[in-house]
Amino acid sequence: MVAVGKTEMTTAKEGKLKKDISIMSMVKTFLPIVGLIIVFLIFNILTNFRMIKNMSLVLSQIYVTMIATTGVFFIMTMGGLDFSQGSILGIASIVVCMVSKINIPLSIVCGILTGALIGAFNGYFYVYRKIKSFIVTICTMFLFRGFIKYLTTNAPVAGSAALINYDSTGLKVALTLLILVVGFVLFRFTKFGTYLKAIGAGEKAAMFSGIRTDKMKFFVYVLSGAITGFAAFINVIKVGSVTSSGGSQLETQILIALVLGGMPISGGAKVRFENIIVGSLLYIVLNSGLTMMGFSTQMMQLIQGIVFLVFVAVFADRKSLQVIK
Amino acid sequence: MSEIRLQVKNLCKSFGITKAVKDVSFSVNKGEVHALIGENGSGKSTLTNMLTGIYSIDSGTFVLDGEEIHPKNQVDANDHGVSIIVQELGTLSGLTVAENIFLGHEDRFVKYGIKNTKQMIREANELLHNYGFDRIKAQRMIDDYNFEDRKLVEIVKATYFDPKIVVVDETTTALSQEGRNELYKVMDRIRAKGNTIIFISHDLQEVLEHSDTITILRDGVYIDTVKSEDVTEEDLKRLMVGREVTGDYYRSDYGSVVSPEVVLSVKDVSVPGLISNLDFELHKGEILGFGGLSESGMHEVGKAIFGASYDRKGSVTLQDGTEINDIPTAIQNSIAYTSKDRDNESVVLNQSIMDNICLPSLDELSDKRHMLSDKKLRDFADKFAKEMSVKMVNVDQFVSDLSGGNKQKVVLARWIGKDSDIVVLDSPTRGIDIKVKQDIYQLMDRMRKAGKSIIMISEELMELIGMCDRIIIMKDGMISGEIERHETLDENNLITMMV
Repeated sequence: MVAVGKTEMTTAKEGKLKKDISIMSMVKTFLPIVGLIIVFLIFNILTNFRMIKNMSLVLSQIYVTMIATTGVFFIMTMGGLDFSQGSILGIASIVVCMVSKINIPLSIVCGILTGALIGAFNGYFYVYRKIKSFIVTICTMFLFRGFIKYLTTNAPVAGSAALINYDSTGLKVALTLLILVVGFVLFRFTKFGTYLKAIGAGEKAAMFSGIRTDKMKFFVYVLSGAITGFAAFINVIKVGSVTSSGGSQLETQILIALVLGGMPISGGAKVRFENIIVGSLLYIVLNSGLTMMGFSTQMMQLIQGIVFLVFVAVFADRKSLQVIK
Repeated sequence: MSEIRLQVKNLCKSFGITKAVKDVSFSVNKGEVHALIGENGSGKSTLTNMLTGIYSIDSGTFVLDGEEIHPKNQVDANDHGVSIIVQELGTLSGLTVAENIFLGHEDRFVKYGIKNTKQMIREANELLHNYGFDRIKAQRMIDDYNFEDRKLVEIVKATYFDPKIVVVDETTTALSQEGRNELYKVMDRIRAKGNTIIFISHDLQEVLEHSDTITILRDGVYIDTVKSEDVTEEDLKRLMVGREVTGDYYRSDYGSVVSPEVVLSVKDVSVPGLISNLDFELHKGEILGFGGLSESGMHEVGKAIFGASYDRKGSVTLQDGTEINDIPTAIQNSIAYTSKDRDNESVVLNQSIMDNICLPSLDELSDKRHMLSDKKLRDFADKFAKEMSVKMVNVDQFVSDLSGGNKQKVVLARWIGKDSDIVVLDSPTRGIDIKVKQDIYQLMDRMRKAGKSIIMISEELMELIGMCDRIIIMKDGMISGEIERHETLDENNLITMMV
């Protein structure tokens, strides 16, 4: 637009407006990372630096969450949701335990396949039967939770004793990094990421740009299931067996982590891969900090609820909220 | 007659860094049709949206009948006596006609907390009868009616309570000639009652015919207010653009021979309920036009060629025998499509200009290992956005911030970037100002000369006559006539085949 007749008043006004907008976007960019640092410092001071001393313990909870979050990040980028993650982790963990008695590498593959199958199940109903993703995945959450309860009725499903040999921080860190790096490259440097963002920002227009949106959506649910199926292996080597509550609450953890990381809940063009890392870290620090402070579970849920609400209020992209699929 | 109804005083509005309206002042009289004209992004709609409470005012005031008003929303504006008829669909699906007409004013039918639906329907039917729209029934769902009738319902909704000012915001572009005539009649009636109409339109001929006074805006700045009888179309163009509009508007050649080479053949194509048994061929370097009433099925033709129609039968075949049945195949085989529904089907609104331009070309932009580089994408987007002279800060800007004409330029930039050989343009100049229209016509002419083939679907007969080598007229989903390019062709030749 050509600037004609710019008056003093309008420039001043515009300056103020510009400042308001940039402050808001600054807040949105830095709140998660600054929040992480502040929360980390506060908890360290409050717990007499017990947190930093027990860092490896704190981090031991993060691997499964962070890996599974990567898959859900892809789903949410294209505007979908997935509440069945906990049940996927539970079922896949049971499969890993069972197969590990035969062959451990095979158990990893079977875990991934189990996750992918459940993902395909979700994807089929979401994409080809055109049911909203959160409805489908809430249904599958209950469905597969039922299977988990059934399979663990008499006793927890235990894995092979040899699994314990794999429980090293080095391996878990390496596997988590592997997923993150592959995910990052796919998202940031291939058309995969751009396509996902386009679907999240405007599915119809994405379709008219030549993206096979249905195939893409189905594939992402399968992929996300597979990633969580892979995380099941790490889950199993940590705990050794699966109980009826195996994997429960993972879906909420993931959702909270992504929102804490600054992810707009409707996906689209404004998502950033960093949301996964900062968000998972912030969630784990918050969670273990509250535990170390000696809060009861009820109290922790209350505090988490408040923090979650505040972050959603800040990051919700109100222009595109109606497109949650 | 010249009593002042509305004074606009030092009005300003910015969106982020874009100043849409800059210190605009003028006044509007009682009992007149006051046209507001200007190119895309000149601030017409922003101004009227502030008047009707859709946008908040940054600074400045509206004085209505000597009283300062600050409408908070559309209902509040209605209470002040200001209403608007918008360009796109302004009625709500899932409600009855009556509920739509009285939306926000249901209170008058409520007694002891209970709504008297019968009375509401009776009054709505009375209103429809008074307007002469008897075929629309107030108790039916709004979804039972087509776009045109829904627009008429909206006209009733915006005018039944005798508002002091009615804003008609580019409503006519969405209407057929019949609907336009209905609207003109309503406008005349409002004026006769001593009330005022603010009339926004890109069609200068229409503006000259139906308005008393014309105010011109350019880039958010007030330029001038003139009497319609004192000016010509050329004067208005000059005032809008700020210089003489030079050069040819449409292409000027006649009698040039189109290559016999067929690049696309459509055989026996049907889409249930929309088009039936369509047969035609597109030649190399040809501009083939499709005209007709908006319900004639011509808009579906574009989608059918692009593989975007649901449940299409028949075949669309390229020169080399490739069949086009879905969008990705169409794009891979160098077919481009711009939709009439620009905001939903052509651009991804909440995404950057860069992503929008690169989206169909990502395969070509990826290296051997399927990797994309930011710099390459940015250079690509920048090159074609600049080639199309998109008005933007940079390619990271979101498309949702752009005006209609600039959005269309982004759409065209993406297909020029893709170097498509067959370009299907559905209503390419819809809601777009003269300057950008001219750019688009010139672009089409260049593409034609470069051997590209174009299908242009349009409701504007003049542009079909001006640009096309051949025009196919559609009626009720079928081809009702075909006309070759000729100097003596005029609108009446086409209209007889349309109705």
